[in-house]
Amino acid sequence: MLGYLSYFILIPMVYIAFATLIFGLIYKFYIIWKAPAPAGTGAIFPKKGSKVSGLIYDAMLVPMAYTKQKGFWFIIMFFHIAFFFLFLGHLELIADFKFIQIIPHRIFLGGGLVGIILMLATLYFLFRRFGTPYREISIPEDFVILLVLFFCILFGSILHLAERYSDWGAVLRVDANVYRNWLQSLIWFKPQLSYTITELSHFTILVLHVLFANIFLMMFPFSKMIHSVFTFLAHYRKRN
Amino acid sequence: MEREKVLELKQVIGKKLNRPMLYYLDLCTRCGLCYDTCHVYQGIPKKEYSPVGRAEVVRRVFRKYFKPAGKFFPWWGDAHEFDENLMEELREAAFSCTGCRRCTMFCPFGIDMPYILGIAKELLIAYGNAPEELVMLADSAVEKGKSIDMFKEGFRGVIKDLEQEVQKLIGASSSDGLIPMDKKGANILFVGLSGAHSIIYPAAIFNAAKEDWTLSYFEAVNFGYFAGDSEKSNFIANRIINEAKALGVKEIVIVECGTAYRIPKFLMGPLPFKVSSIVEVIYRYIKEGRIKIKQGIVSEPVTWHDPCQLGRNGGIYEQPREILQIMANDYREMNPNCEYNWCCGGGGGLVALDNEEFRIKSGKPKKEQIEKSGATMVVTACENCHLQLSTISQGYNMGVKVESLTKLVGENLII
Ligand code: SF4
Ligand code: SF4
Repeated sequence: MLGYLSYFILIPMVYIAFATLIFGLIYKFYIIWKAPAPAGTGAIFPKKGSKVSGLIYDAMLVPMAYTKQKGFWFIIMFFHIAFFFLFLGHLELIADFKFIQIIPHRIFLGGGLVGIILMLATLYFLFRRFGTPYREISIPEDFVILLVLFFCILFGSILHLAERYSDWGAVLRVDANVYRNWLQSLIWFKPQLSYTITELSHFTILVLHVLFANIFLMMFPFSKMIHSVFTFLAHYRKRN
Repeated sequence: MEREKVLELKQVIGKKLNRPMLYYLDLCTRCGLCYDTCHVYQGIPKKEYSPVGRAEVVRRVFRKYFKPAGKFFPWWGDAHEFDENLMEELREAAFSCTGCRRCTMFCPFGIDMPYILGIAKELLIAYGNAPEELVMLADSAVEKGKSIDMFKEGFRGVIKDLEQEVQKLIGASSSDGLIPMDKKGANILFVGLSGAHSIIYPAAIFNAAKEDWTLSYFEAVNFGYFAGDSEKSNFIANRIINEAKALGVKEIVIVECGTAYRIPKFLMGPLPFKVSSIVEVIYRYIKEGRIKIKQGIVSEPVTWHDPCQLGRNGGIYEQPREILQIMANDYREMNPNCEYNWCCGGGGGLVALDNEEFRIKSGKPKKEQIEKSGATMVVTACENCHLQLSTISQGYNMGVKVESLTKLVGENLII
């Protein structure tokens, strides 16, 4: 039974998660594109910078968050930058990318720090929600997303840190190729779970990591996480 | 609530779901950065008066009826169906917001809270729970638009009387034609308000500048917009737009009324003429040397209140300051100012409602700003702000004088 469940999480569910993410995003953009456009603009003045540079500046550097709460701004910046590194790290799990290896490193930039930053930031976001006034404006979705993200990063970090730093990792040193074979098989729609994966001593942790990652991806288009793409639309209107 | 009513209200939401509305409703991370950026929250620190608190009331019904999760697992997004309490919450949220968009500026995603509250207002209209005062004023403006010919003769008579006031101000030899009307091909169509002062002083300025202008038959204020009725709001705005088109003017100039300026300038799409505020026009005349005003005529400490719709939402910051600084000996800035300026609490049609106690409380940050500036006179260029600043001054026994920029200029023209 557990074998079937693990198989489901590592193969079919990954496809379901990515399909939900991709088609979900397409759907979200489609309904916006299909909706009527209002006649006017939503400009706020002064509009600093050009339309494009200003838009990127506002959306990526969130200057107003800096003006409002500097400490919070640093944490959200660390969080989002770490997320970007995490993305690059996962790309390297699929194949070699020369542009990522400009600074030569073992797979997963940051030697584990990226995961730790993300975990700490996620915990901060979570506990921040228990204080006033954030508790009053939070809804269950906010907590669930943070918990899913936390566990996803936690299990991912265990995999990485154990493999990299512990005796356990030294004994069971996992070659990135192990993951690479599995991930590439998924990409080429010839999914296979070789025994090199299923026999890993930390296979359960891998399954849990992927489970939470799948849930995260499926929730992405239908939850507030959509802010990462919609922010550009809203800032565009503010500068139009 | 009855099923038919729920269906009707659902349709109301559906009609409001245009592009920005869809992403604004999805975007909020409930980060809370906007929480205390609202002057109302500053004066009455309750979640209901925080920007995100207000928008969440709308989102709750939106999720309930437009999101599968809201339908099947309402707890997930705190989705809520329509009921008496919710309608009351919507009313509290919508008609305590002045539409100043200070929160929008602080939101890391630029979510337009008043835009979202547009849903609440439209729902309240459909439910019959919108403030009667605003609905009635909007209706009468629509009525006037429909049967303007009936009003024209009477209005011309009133204007004849006002011409004499203008004559006194500029020392003209005759009052005839000082307030032109129905003038085809004029450069400017000026749109005033119902009060005589809103026409006399601009008229004095136009005459002093030897402008080729004409007066609109309509008032600039848009109660349809304040009430949140899109149809009436468009109708009221289009009365002026159509009048300008029929006369073939090059520019419409809006009296001291922030929202009346913002609607044609930013919310009606491209128009075949320029839209300016009277403040911009006064500034232009001074720069071009078409009018001269007395220097240093205001001796007491004076400060400028940025009307949100002219400043943050209109981009007019420097012009009124420069004009005022010519007339003032002791000009002071409020802190924060310009885009960070605190709303006075009178916008969004709130000054037209029976809510003085609420407005005095929500005007607390403005009161503190004025006090800190040390000014004994506050000048502004919005009728709503003017009324609300006077209410704040009286409510807190501040003894601060409130003046209109156009009036100050009109009274101090060097002819
Ligand atoms: S600042 Fe913006 S994203 Fe944050 S709670 Fe307020 S509206 Fe939502
Ligand atoms: S627009 Fe102004 S009044 Fe309305 S919620 Fe935002 S800050 Fe408050």
